[in-house]
Amino acid sequence: MTLSNTTRRTFLTSAAALGAAGIFPGGVGMLRAQEGRVLNLRLDGDNSILDPGYMVGGTEIEAQKQCLPFLAEYVRNGDTFTWQPTAHVTRLEYVDDTHIEFELAPGLVWSGGHGTLKASDVAYSYARMKDSEWSGYFDALETVEVTGELTGTLVLSKPFAPFIMVTLCHGPGAIVCEAATEAAGGRFTTEFPAICGPYTYSATPGQRAVFERNPEWTGPAPGFDRVVCHVITEVQAAELAYEAGEIDCTELGPDSLARYSREMPDNTAITTAGQLQYMWMGMNTQHPKLQDLKVRQAIQHAVDVDSILAGAFAGTSAQSHGIVCPGLLGARSEHGYSYDPAKARELLAEAGVSGLQLTLRTQNWQERLLTAQIIQANLAAVGITVKILPMESGPFWEMGMEEAGDTWKELELWLMRFATVPDPYEATQWFISEQVGVWNWERWTNEEFDRLYDEGLSETDTAKREAIYFRMQEIMDETGAYVWINHEPETYAHRTDIEVVAAPSGELNYHRFRQV
Amino acid sequence: MSAPLSDPAAPAEIRESASRERREKLWRFLTDWQAMAGLVLVVLFFASAIFAPWLAPYDPNAMDIPARMSGPTWAHIAGTDQLGRDTFSRILHGGRVALYISAIGVSASLSIGLVLGMIAGYGPRWLDNLMLLMFDAVRSFPAVILALATVALTGPSLTVVLAIVILTTIPSYGRVARTATLALRHTEFILAERSLGASTPRILFQHIMPNVIGPLLILAAMEVPVVVSIEAGLSFLGIGVLPPQASWGTILNEGYLVIRDAPWMVIAGGIPLILTTLGFTFLGEALRDVFDPRMGRGR
Repeated sequence: MTLSNTTRRTFLTSAAALGAAGIFPGGVGMLRAQEGRVLNLRLDGDNSILDPGYMVGGTEIEAQKQCLPFLAEYVRNGDTFTWQPTAHVTRLEYVDDTHIEFELAPGLVWSGGHGTLKASDVAYSYARMKDSEWSGYFDALETVEVTGELTGTLVLSKPFAPFIMVTLCHGPGAIVCEAATEAAGGRFTTEFPAICGPYTYSATPGQRAVFERNPEWTGPAPGFDRVVCHVITEVQAAELAYEAGEIDCTELGPDSLARYSREMPDNTAITTAGQLQYMWMGMNTQHPKLQDLKVRQAIQHAVDVDSILAGAFAGTSAQSHGIVCPGLLGARSEHGYSYDPAKARELLAEAGVSGLQLTLRTQNWQERLLTAQIIQANLAAVGITVKILPMESGPFWEMGMEEAGDTWKELELWLMRFATVPDPYEATQWFISEQVGVWNWERWTNEEFDRLYDEGLSETDTAKREAIYFRMQEIMDETGAYVWINHEPETYAHRTDIEVVAAPSGELNYHRFRQV
Repeated sequence: MSAPLSDPAAPAEIRESASRERREKLWRFLTDWQAMAGLVLVVLFFASAIFAPWLAPYDPNAMDIPARMSGPTWAHIAGTDQLGRDTFSRILHGGRVALYISAIGVSASLSIGLVLGMIAGYGPRWLDNLMLLMFDAVRSFPAVILALATVALTGPSLTVVLAIVILTTIPSYGRVARTATLALRHTEFILAERSLGASTPRILFQHIMPNVIGPLLILAAMEVPVVVSIEAGLSFLGIGVLPPQASWGTILNEGYLVIRDAPWMVIAGGIPLILTTLGFTFLGEALRDVFDPRMGRGR
């Protein structure tokens, strides 16, 4: 056993040193430099499935971007985003409307002795994605033709200009090592079978994920030698950790964003990734209590979204009118119902429903719980009793999936938020008929919606495409299964000496962070 | 063991002595500032919880979103929360949750612990060993982990909190009851009862229980703040009461998340927890000093 040698004098010395570190704002930066440039970030939960075909998304995409090859990456251009080839490719370009040629950078090796990155890995990765839970991203892709060890062509089945932005820059565009993935049984969960990126990955569940410089990586060096992502579930707790100097960058909650906007803390800057989040309250159209369209419409009319935006989001986010986010083609300025409690009561009376009791499931995050409580009060005002069921992330994200158990049968109401990419097609893919029991937890099908989804993929006329996405959202309104809530901005507070790089949907790309 | 002192057939001298002893104990209690402070705080706790619906100036769940997170004013003496709800009213109603959990939780665990402890102390050796093993097994399991596991299966609710509180505090009472029973089982009056053919339940509940209940009641007073803290802790972690019900733990949780914008929520939520803990601790210690001086502060 080792005994601590702390004396009163050493204790006082240590306390003085810690106090000095707190007093001098430069202390954190100096410490970061001395420790070999360590970047401390926040994870909102454990990464449970790193496989791009079966992931939940969010920080799992962040991990993929550090460890797996991609053909393209987002680049910020003022207030908008465009794309550029990654360090994994030397060439990526449209040769015509349906053909994208690529050439991989030579000499990039997979870990574990799995050889170099080849065009056949790209073909393998995208072929398996077409059969995965994220297959919607690859609907426009017909095949990948391998034309050489490092070269190939992505062949689209129809013209689809946003393919690079929507698919190749985003998580599903990750390339996996064919040999290693097959050796792992064709799927993987919490460990990458092989990596080929700037960082290696290791994780301690419930505590942290650590990214360290990949010694085999020959591409551009990342800005930091080590990135430690601490698991901090609550965003407010992460804000406290940021203000205490424990982490260098964190997402901001609405109240803190409002406060930071009024009075910016020292050594802090704010970066806004985008508003590509859409949040809604969903209703299970197949649940016996909610099968009647009038009941669902009554709920739509009963919820006061303005109060939610003010009470739960401190007025920092825009009201949602559908799944297409502001600034994108097809974004609406209004939706098909209004806050009207009298109308809600009338619809319930017409449906012959009284004393309705429902369960509203939500992740146990502050804004969601506040939102849920406002909805609970709104629905109580029209005679519907709501029980709020707060849930951890893991069971929450599985509850509507048929393959994850029978919870989907009990689903009534839930609060959901998806992130999307800068094209409306991505958001619509989760609600087609094939997605019932996967991500379409509202469990409705509509032939017109499915047809429009296909038309939206191939339509090149902007006005016609916009009309398609307007109509698709109208159909969603008509199901009565949605109460649109908001589009939260993904906003990050960080040290002024750090340049933050985030995707429009908010995923951070650690290896492109720089100390300035 | 002497005959019951309330027995009218007991000599007058003995009755007078017992009466004098009771008066002395009461005097010691009434002149102990900690006892009185504890008593006042405990009475305040009970009164504020029981009369919360009449004392609270607002409906604890009534939202006033334009007034969200406003600081203490005459209209809202403890400020408002993120939904504009009056924090003071929520604290008063949160006291009802604490009272509910502590009253039912402590009563149930005391009753179960008492019975199990007496059975362990009076029963055969193997049963005693088995009971001790069970008590130790339950005590060794952290309450929070047990709560997390249970909530994962059942979902959060006040009933789950109550069940966790009862389960995790039974061993404390059980062990005290067992020790006291062991000390009594070979005493003359118990042996006399047995030789007269008294049944085991009669011996346990009519002769042993009145003699072991005293220390358990003192222990119960000391356990109330523990139980209140367990509830507050579980609610703070989001596995206690369901929204929108107020409890001190949820008020602290909500306040902690906006501590830089609305520090009054944490302060206002923490004060009743501190006062209740102090009150029951002072009262419990004072009762112990009065009724069991050997365990007192002077030791």
